[in-house]
Amino acid sequence: MFIVQAEHVKYDLLDYAANRLSIQEHDRVEEHLQNCLTCQNHYRELLSTENILKESHEHPPSPVYFTTILPRVRERLEQRRRPVRAYAEALTKVLLPLSVSAFLVLLVLRVPIDFSSESNQTDALQRVMKDLSADEMVQAVEGEYAGSSFTTYQDLSIAGVEEHLQGDRFLKAAVSKQIENEEIAEMDLEGMISDLSSDQVDQVLSKISERNAL
Amino acid sequence: MTGSSDLELVELFQKGNETCFNELVRRYQEKIYWVARRFVNDHDQADDIVQEVFIKVYSALKDFRAESGVYTWLYRITVNVALNALRKQRIRDFVRIDEFFDTAGDEHEQPDSIVEKDEQQKLIEEAIAKLPEKQKAVFILRYYEELSYEEISAILKTSIGGLKANYFHAAKKIGEYVHRAS
Repeated sequence: MFIVQAEHVKYDLLDYAANRLSIQEHDRVEEHLQNCLTCQNHYRELLSTENILKESHEHPPSPVYFTTILPRVRERLEQRRRPVRAYAEALTKVLLPLSVSAFLVLLVLRVPIDFSSESNQTDALQRVMKDLSADEMVQAVEGEYAGSSFTTYQDLSIAGVEEHLQGDRFLKAAVSKQIENEEIAEMDLEGMISDLSSDQVDQVLSKISERNAL
Repeated sequence: MTGSSDLELVELFQKGNETCFNELVRRYQEKIYWVARRFVNDHDQADDIVQEVFIKVYSALKDFRAESGVYTWLYRITVNVALNALRKQRIRDFVRIDEFFDTAGDEHEQPDSIVEKDEQQKLIEEAIAKLPEKQKAVFILRYYEELSYEEISAILKTSIGGLKANYFHAAKKIGEYVHRAS
């Protein structure tokens, strides 16, 4: 004779503890709990978690904050409508994310960082970054790829960086480039990372993971 | 305008009534803020996400085709923007920008001037921050936003069975983290 074990209800237990189930679901879980030690143990744990969550208190921002959102969104939308020079627009929308992606991938692939040593890591990154402004990176990447046949980010990040760029050459070019466009003078790496698309973010993260796995 | 449904607002916007966008912002700004803040645990970053979400919404609104509910669509955009913000943070952490540039700076280290957190809340936020992306999204949408599994399934495009498993494991991990730390 087989005794069929009723389907466990563990996935509904937090909702049960938080009293968020329909009457039928609530009764089903309650009935199951009377006869199932495994689910009783889960329930005790989740009830304790629910109590902690319930008691904790998130502090809201000032109510005034919510009156500032719409005007700021509108202002940003308005800024986007204003005419910008084609070059600056292209630089911001295309080259900038491209540049930082290539640069970050370069960091990941080329810079000889010893992750076993915190100080080595810092030294290596400092060597790369201390003399290199974001503007110079942009100019360098632009210059490096001006005559190349690489047209997509993927080409740049993998084939371009791996096979056609020498790390030192890239960095020297970056440092030696003059800033020619005042409009991007204030931009920095932080801003460039912010401008990366989701795909570019995923590409860079995947390279970082590969690098960390080495 | 305030009595109009979300879909009516979208349709009016698509016909050229710009002010309908304002009403959508007013209607959803608080919800979007809280989803964002629970993802990033920081008011300023949450504010950035809110701004970015509404900029994206404005740009995409003219092409909205009502294949999903407006709020489902808004949640989906919010989750995607928030997850992308977290991924960018991982890149920043990797290149350790803060050590070399002043811009990204100390604000993450400073006490939030707007929000002072009690210890218990801080532990919960830390625990949620450590969850894998999917579990984090499910937990925030289910526990805090109280969305149904059907709604979350439409937002995250995941089966309800998968969502329930994610929710259970997220809650277990949060409980374990808080108990271990306290």
